Amino acid sequence: MVTELVPAAAFPLQSGLVPRGTRTFVFESIFEVFLLLGTLVGVVVVGYMLYNAYKYRSGSGNGHIDDEDRLVLGELPSGSGGGRKLFTSFFMSMIIVVSLVSWTYLTLLYVEEGPSDAESLDVEVEGYQFGWRFTYPNGHTTDGVLRVPADRPVQLTITTADVFHNFGITELRVKSDAIPGQETETWFTADEPGTYTAQCYELCGAGHSYMSAEVIVMPPDEYEAWYANTTADNATASESSADESVAAKSSLRPAVVP
Amino acid sequence: MTDASPGGDAAADGGHEVARGGDDHDFPGTGSIKRWFVTTNHKDVGILYIVTSLFFLVLGGVLAWLMRIQLLAPRALGEGILAPVAYNQAVSAHGLLMVFWFLSPFAFGFANYVVPLQLGAKDLAFPRLNALSYWLYLFSGILFGVSFFQGGTFSGGWTMYAPLNVPTFTPDVGASTAVLALVLFVASVTVSSVNFLTTMHRMRAEGLTLRNVPLFSWTILLTAWMMLFAFAALLAALLVLSSDRLLGTTYFAMESPAGALLWTHLFWFFGHPEVYIVFFPALGVMAEVFQTFPGRRIVGRKWFILAMVLVAIQSFAVWMHHMFLTSINLQVKTLFMITTIGISLPFDLMVFALIYTMLKGKIRFTTPFLFVFGALLLFIIGGITGVFLGAVVLDYEFRGTYWVVAHFHYVMVGGVTALVGGLYYWFPKMTGRMYDEFLGKLHFAVYFVGFNLLYFPLFVAWETPRRVFDYAPELAPWHQLATVGGFVLGLSFLIMFYNLFKSAFVGDPAPDNPWEYATTAEWAVSSPPPLENFDGTPTYRDGHLEFIDDGEVAPSEERSGGPTGAAVSDGGVTASATRAVTADAELPTAEATEVEGPSHASIWPFVLSAGAFLVLLGLSPLQDAAFPEGMVGAAYATTAVAGGVVTLGSLVAMGLEPFHGPVFEEGEAWPFAGIDNGKVGMWIFLASDVVLFGGFLGAYVFTRVAFGWTGWEPIPSDPIPGLVNTYILLTSSFTVVLALVAAEKKHKWGLVTSLGATFVLGIGFLVNKGLEWQHLFHEGLWLSTNVRASTFFLTTGLHAAHVIAGLVVALYLTARAWRGAYLEDSRSVEYFGLYWHFVDIVWLFLFPLFYIL
Repeated sequence: MVTELVPAAAFPLQSGLVPRGTRTFVFESIFEVFLLLGTLVGVVVVGYMLYNAYKYRSGSGNGHIDDEDRLVLGELPSGSGGGRKLFTSFFMSMIIVVSLVSWTYLTLLYVEEGPSDAESLDVEVEGYQFGWRFTYPNGHTTDGVLRVPADRPVQLTITTADVFHNFGITELRVKSDAIPGQETETWFTADEPGTYTAQCYELCGAGHSYMSAEVIVMPPDEYEAWYANTTADNATASESSADESVAAKSSLRPAVVP
Repeated sequence: MTDASPGGDAAADGGHEVARGGDDHDFPGTGSIKRWFVTTNHKDVGILYIVTSLFFLVLGGVLAWLMRIQLLAPRALGEGILAPVAYNQAVSAHGLLMVFWFLSPFAFGFANYVVPLQLGAKDLAFPRLNALSYWLYLFSGILFGVSFFQGGTFSGGWTMYAPLNVPTFTPDVGASTAVLALVLFVASVTVSSVNFLTTMHRMRAEGLTLRNVPLFSWTILLTAWMMLFAFAALLAALLVLSSDRLLGTTYFAMESPAGALLWTHLFWFFGHPEVYIVFFPALGVMAEVFQTFPGRRIVGRKWFILAMVLVAIQSFAVWMHHMFLTSINLQVKTLFMITTIGISLPFDLMVFALIYTMLKGKIRFTTPFLFVFGALLLFIIGGITGVFLGAVVLDYEFRGTYWVVAHFHYVMVGGVTALVGGLYYWFPKMTGRMYDEFLGKLHFAVYFVGFNLLYFPLFVAWETPRRVFDYAPELAPWHQLATVGGFVLGLSFLIMFYNLFKSAFVGDPAPDNPWEYATTAEWAVSSPPPLENFDGTPTYRDGHLEFIDDGEVAPSEERSGGPTGAAVSDGGVTASATRAVTADAELPTAEATEVEGPSHASIWPFVLSAGAFLVLLGLSPLQDAAFPEGMVGAAYATTAVAGGVVTLGSLVAMGLEPFHGPVFEEGEAWPFAGIDNGKVGMWIFLASDVVLFGGFLGAYVFTRVAFGWTGWEPIPSDPIPGLVNTYILLTSSFTVVLALVAAEKKHKWGLVTSLGATFVLGIGFLVNKGLEWQHLFHEGLWLSTNVRASTFFLTTGLHAAHVIAGLVVALYLTARAWRGAYLEDSRSVEYFGLYWHFVDIVWLFLFPLFYIL
């Protein structure tokens, strides 16, 4: 499942270490590691803090403040010893953080490279207050529903007709800003046929909460059959399932429309 | 909100009652209402800041409750207690109020109160400007409150992304008012930054080198530097936005090339340093309390300071990590990923330093320590979850979700937790009474449970998009838990308000130093401290704090703190100002200082701020530079004019008012030793002005590059008027130099003539500019014609506004010089000259950029 997209020869040693695959796979793999290590570090550090706070509580007899170490009102501030311990901990945390992030950087390079043009399906996404329009390579445009084949990378080119939006399908771990006058690109591959939800992730006005679209992942052959029947003619056709929500959302648009 | 008001009364009652006898006959006691309107004393101002910020905490908290109630369940359209736009307003106002009107002012309440004490100063360098900062802050908050009643406040989120922030999409007048309220707030912050930086660099006690400054003061110093530059960048963004909203320029319009991207750059260039601006003071409180209660000095003190300095500098180089999903390329992403990870590492060091400081101590779990200890725990969680966001691949998916919300609440409200600890820590010092320890601990317990109940579930429900109230149904239980936590957290403050209110009246009297092992100077004076802080001059020359009897100070060392603000005690005609100079020159004995001791009262900061409030309120309904039709428009216009008169009048009154800054003997003043406070203040202010113009020029260059540099035809096709104006301004810089020379030679008419010539040249510049603009308008070009016209009119308009402000001062100086001022003390002329040269230099950049290239 994972390795299909990977030019395996390019990084023969790292292919096992650096997650490559669908966006869902790379996210989950990295997130898991971060969650595990994050929890571990958190528990160790917080545990150490709590243990010592208890151990050196006033009256426990564990702490001792010598006369020469005693803090005196009006003294010039200075520090305590313990620098070696401080730097040891600091370097350890630095190694953890830097190595973790460097590791994810290799995956970032993979994600940024994206799928090859030959195999991917290119869809243009345009946000507007408050919905999404999708345009396929043959010029077919739909509003509120994105149909894609399973197991094939989908390359999205995203922009907006009005304000700043952000297009994201959280379950498929894909997201990108929709910026006026700019185009951003991102991609995803869906493993499982099914229905997912795309949402807007940047506050964009009254209808922001309802600015969603259906993402229908179809088995490849079904998709091909559906796609063969589309033409550029039925531009801006909105499928019946989306009609209602589009009507509701249009009431949220501001009175002044550019 | 009534819960917060007791704090105010409490402060009033328990405040530092003891004005030194005979110091100020017209300075009322703390029980008098009048005192709180006229005071310029840093401790009073600190208390005002704290009490006011707590009001805004309650307001922002109530808005948060409304949101949490709405989020109890996923809401279909029309369900829930808030309509969609109302929800967006609540989200936006909650963010803006908490970040701007609560967090920073709360921290700066402590800074006001404690920093001069820790430095050994009697007050801030410019006490009236300090009062002005407070009143501008209060009135900006009131203006923000008014915006709710003008058709609805701003609803585009605290990040105010373009183009949702322009009237095309957010047409309510209230949205403009909210932006103007922010402008006023930034004015307050800038005045405050200049004041704190001048004070902290110039007015430290002998022996208190920067290395030796206590950590809380260190954090405030770094915060003030970051504020100076970051808020100047925000001011640039806000002025451009105000102009888009009120005058009709098109920087951020939907059609503008890269307008939306421009906003994200301008906003986040401010926005990321802002994170540290609100967090550093909390870090300072942690550092103080982590030393006092375990009774141990901090581990690795100099590394701790170095880490903070690095963060403060680097904070200006990480802003694009908020923009990983915009169209920036991989190289830029890589760079900003590296700087982001880089800026997180110094915090690791600081956290470990705090933890190791506890070791081997005798930790007393008092309320301040509990809060600060809890804050560190929360900050650790906030920090770890922040590393997730530093990994760009993860950030791609977390962008715009509750992961971000949960993370920054752990960090920022973690900071609030430390500041609440600070409130308990310094409460005895401020009121002279102890709070109830049991209730304090109870508050901590409820607070800590409520906090985690509120914010931790948000990590679990991270897939919820931000600012959305229709979310996946399976996430509902987590949101319900969070809502319960929100109420627990909010209600826990009732315990605090009750405790502090009651204790301020009937708490046990606090000794000078209620905390064993506290070391900083504020604990060496009475609780509350006397009006001028110390009996005697504090010094650390023998390695520890000592007070020298004022009488022992050698007369030659006595110096006045210099004029406050633009022009006071300049040896002019006002009787007391002349006397001040005489006293300084001839009778610098302790007795004379007593008579001519620093002033503590001025009503003008209050009046000036009220005037500024009216101006901005009056301007708020403008669209395309026109008031609305009819009575409403006329009423607004009248308000603006009245406000203008009040503002200008109070500026003049403030200039004429005899007022003396704190008298101090120069101790440690690196790196400004031997330079007058007023001059240092002017330089620091100009540094922020450089960033303001930098923001405008950056916006121009960015827009032009997006448009296509060579395809952009300069709007004034004829460069001749601009060239003439260049010569006029250069000549006027020359006449200002002549004016200073004449003043130093005590040549009255030379001074008057040179200042007058400067004024006439400035008028000539404006007339020439007016004719040029008239010509352009005649050609059919207007601010809203296109983005080329917008950038030209607005940027050169900002410069013209600087010229006009300079001319107002020039006119004032000329009139005073006519009556014989500035011959004894030419400093005001010198400071005006600095400003005027700066304005000329800016023009030398504008002219080629807008007329030639």
